[in-house]
Amino acid sequence: MQNKELITINQTSQILGVSIDTLRRWDKSGKLPAIRLKISGHRYYDRNLLAELMPRLDIYKLVLKWASGKTAVEPLTDFYCPNSSIFQARLSRFETELIKSGVLQDKFSLLTSVTGEIGNNAYDHNLGNWPDIPGVFFIYNINNRQVAIADRGQGVLTTLKKVRPDLINDQDALKMAFTEIISGRAPESRGNGLKFVRRIVIDNKYDLLFKSGQAELRINKKSNGLSIVKAKIPINGCLALIKF
Amino acid sequence: MIIQLKKFGVTLTSRQLGKEALSAFKPSLAGAGEAEIIEVDFDGVNTFSPSWGDEFLTPLVKKYGDRFILKWSDNPSVISTLKLLEEVNKYRLNII
Repeated sequence: MQNKELITINQTSQILGVSIDTLRRWDKSGKLPAIRLKISGHRYYDRNLLAELMPRLDIYKLVLKWASGKTAVEPLTDFYCPNSSIFQARLSRFETELIKSGVLQDKFSLLTSVTGEIGNNAYDHNLGNWPDIPGVFFIYNINNRQVAIADRGQGVLTTLKKVRPDLINDQDALKMAFTEIISGRAPESRGNGLKFVRRIVIDNKYDLLFKSGQAELRINKKSNGLSIVKAKIPINGCLALIKF
Repeated sequence: MIIQLKKFGVTLTSRQLGKEALSAFKPSLAGAGEAEIIEVDFDGVNTFSPSWGDEFLTPLVKKYGDRFILKWSDNPSVISTLKLLEEVNKYRLNII
């Protein structure tokens, strides 16, 4: 008990994006056992247990709730990369785990590269302009073949408008980001990483869901290339879910 | 002169780190002879991405032209990245 870092039920509810009633049910069923301190009898949660459980939950729901929430809450430190150095370190760990797992054989480098492009974009385009929490929420489950990254930054439309002021909506901005090669790079050093992402996702038959603002882009077997629709749940920043 | 990219790390993905790597290597490049071939070796690199590659390779392509050579690699991320950089920047890389 002494070595455990305890988190209150309210904090746990915010971190997981589930209600307190759900946490009580999970405690009862053993999915996420709570710890009761003798004096107060209140429920607390072991941070390490939470970190073990989170990748086994629906990671898309986790990052979506975080990215779309009105109030900014710091994700659990295990999955939170407040700056690009921490993201780089976690990306290296992701790469190592992919290599060890052997699931993608020599293609591990493509998924690492794509994940790196998406994550690094968040820092490149929001430095000094984060609306609330800086950095990205980066979580994956290699056994389930899923990786999710989200940020609470300015989103694709706002950052692309700096090079294309004529853009008026999120859907057009996503289409441009994923399909058009942007050669006039001033005034910001915008790359063409999302074109790379699209190519790798299509060539390797991954599923991609990418959200920004009011727009939602999908590349999968059903989308017949690239499909962009209005998002049911809008987010200010960006969110990507890759199934590989 | 051979530039071994693994000396900059094995996961080369960020624009910022690509820029810093080139900046750190510039003093070594200054020692290259006027006709010397500048060769990039990807051996030992696990992951390579367009952001890092664009910041590090593109200025060298522009500066050294035909003297700038890339050693062929079978790493899928290197192959895909170099292909994209050629399309985006409208140049041909000397890959041997």
